[in-house]
Amino acid sequence: MTAGPSRGRRYVMLLLLLCGFSIILFRLVTLQVFQAAELTAKADRQHQKTVSFEGARGMVSDRHGKVLAMNVEVPSVFGVPTSLESPSTVARHLSSVLHIRSGELERKLRQDKSFVWLARKVEPELGRRLEQLSLDGIGVVMEGRRFYPKGTLLAHVLGFSGMDGQGLEGLEHQYDSHLHGEKRVTVLQRDALGRTVFPKGLAEQVPTPGHALTLTVDEVIQYIAEKELEEAVTHSRAKSGTIIVVEPQSGAILAMAVSPRFDPNVVAALTPDQWRNRALTDTYEPGSTMKMVVAAAALEEKVMTPGSMVFGENGRMVIANTTIHDHDKLGWMTFSEVIQKSSNIGAAKIGMALGEQQLYRYLQAFGFGQRTEVDLPGEVSGLLKAPKDWGRRSLASISMGQEVGVTPLQMVSAVATLANGGVMMKPYVVSEVRDQKGRLLKEVLPQVKWRAVSQDTARTMTTMLEGVVTNGTGTKAAIPGFRVAGKTGTAQKIDSRTGAYSSTKFVGSFVGYVPAESPRLAMIVVLDEPQGEAWGGAVAAPVFRRVGEQVLTYLGVSREDTVKIALAMKDH
Amino acid sequence: MKILTIVAGVLLVFVFVWERVDVVRLGYQIERLKSQKVLLERERDQLQVKFSALMAPERIAKVATEKLGLVSPQQGQVLMVHQPGETPSPSLPPVDQIRLARYDSSGRVSE
Repeated sequence: MTAGPSRGRRYVMLLLLLCGFSIILFRLVTLQVFQAAELTAKADRQHQKTVSFEGARGMVSDRHGKVLAMNVEVPSVFGVPTSLESPSTVARHLSSVLHIRSGELERKLRQDKSFVWLARKVEPELGRRLEQLSLDGIGVVMEGRRFYPKGTLLAHVLGFSGMDGQGLEGLEHQYDSHLHGEKRVTVLQRDALGRTVFPKGLAEQVPTPGHALTLTVDEVIQYIAEKELEEAVTHSRAKSGTIIVVEPQSGAILAMAVSPRFDPNVVAALTPDQWRNRALTDTYEPGSTMKMVVAAAALEEKVMTPGSMVFGENGRMVIANTTIHDHDKLGWMTFSEVIQKSSNIGAAKIGMALGEQQLYRYLQAFGFGQRTEVDLPGEVSGLLKAPKDWGRRSLASISMGQEVGVTPLQMVSAVATLANGGVMMKPYVVSEVRDQKGRLLKEVLPQVKWRAVSQDTARTMTTMLEGVVTNGTGTKAAIPGFRVAGKTGTAQKIDSRTGAYSSTKFVGSFVGYVPAESPRLAMIVVLDEPQGEAWGGAVAAPVFRRVGEQVLTYLGVSREDTVKIALAMKDH
Repeated sequence: MKILTIVAGVLLVFVFVWERVDVVRLGYQIERLKSQKVLLERERDQLQVKFSALMAPERIAKVATEKLGLVSPQQGQVLMVHQPGETPSPSLPPVDQIRLARYDSSGRVSE
């Protein structure tokens, strides 16, 4: 009688156990097989964190290794709105530290997001103060910020990079592929307390910093050029100005100053008009400085010799129903005097003696109408029409520097060609690229473009251009103790309203090189719309002298009269 | 013999556990030193920026002229002193002696 119920209970127990184990087995299969991938990922999220690292942006330094741009890690402040109890209180606290309006911060903190940036790349001190406040839902992370420790110095060449470290302007943009650091995603392990243990393959995970650039620019020469340009622009009340200093034998750019200046550390409020590198993006009608190219062509083609006589038509000549004037009533003069006195009529006659095709060929040989291919962004090729598009007056106009548009860089390259014995070099700004360990990745050598004129022509031109400074229109460019060769230029600007040449708006310029017998510097000074006296010889030539004098002293180039002075001092 | 084996086994287990614990401890130490290195590098970079800003020619010129009352040398006040045999005006070597890269019309560059 007892066996029946006992067996029944056993069956019930067995059934219950089977059911229980089936449930456990089912759950195990569900967890381990069907939800395996999802749960593994969830576990990984809890004990691993994925962090994106970016190597520091490469440093930029001048030819002597002086730092011009570098990256420093600074704090960025973020908020986690979903974990905030009182956004208004937090915003008030933050506002007092970050100096951002409380309302603006509160608006960000009330967003339905799990992450918002509140202030990026702030001063290190602010980050420390925020950490002391230890506000819930507010965090600080370190990000690389670009610093330009010399402020406005060389700003137009250096350019600047964006908030996320991408090169936007100037060298920062041109060499972005070298400068930006490597981006790498790393998985870090966390323990039960949320502390980072150590990454897998620690050494391999560190992202490589960007490459460092060494420039041809010398920060002292750049400073001298910027200081003198700023003074000249202020004094002449010009709209803008440019100075470029080049080493004629190599094409290396020693200085490129543009006014108005800007500070690349604070570009948020600036416009492209302020950061544009006018030395290679803006063209101007060069006026009389172009006469040296016409003269070099005439000498090379043996159309003229320095002693050839040219009649100045007493300062007035009619060509294609228009009248060309000279500033003086000039009569017969030598070819050298045409350049010295900067005669428009003389230059027009030389151009006409050369002919359209020859003149055009030499303008191209001196690099006009084409980019110099300098390693900076935004360069324009200028304006040089082919002879088939020239009008009846074009030959005369181009010979005196009208109807052509050139950049200051093109013009200084042309004068550097004469300084370099007729050989045109490619201008360049970056001389070396090195990796983070200092290993040389790229060395830029001086590049010969072509020979524009013979050495004899270049030598004769030097003598003629010295005459401009000793007896001609450029006497204010003379540097005591040095032989200076150069040419002045004063060009009327086209009035955008009338389409005719303005009688009040000019571009005054001076191009030249020094010492003439063994040039160390080729330089251009351009002042756009100087007020009052606008002659290149009056506004730009003195700037050439001041910059040249200081730079030659800085470079340790002896004056011709050094020995005389030394002897005189000894006698006293 | 049996006891000795057991003791050796237990010791081995202890050594294994000690080694694992030490690896974790060293891991934390590496992490701490790494953070310290990052902080020091950051400080070095900040100091370098500060140093570069202080060495800016514009600032030095301002301090020299406004604070110290210095003036730029006038004509004749700078004399270059050269070693015997040195050329008075060291000029760059002529173009044919400079290491050059030439490029043809197609834009190819060769040294």
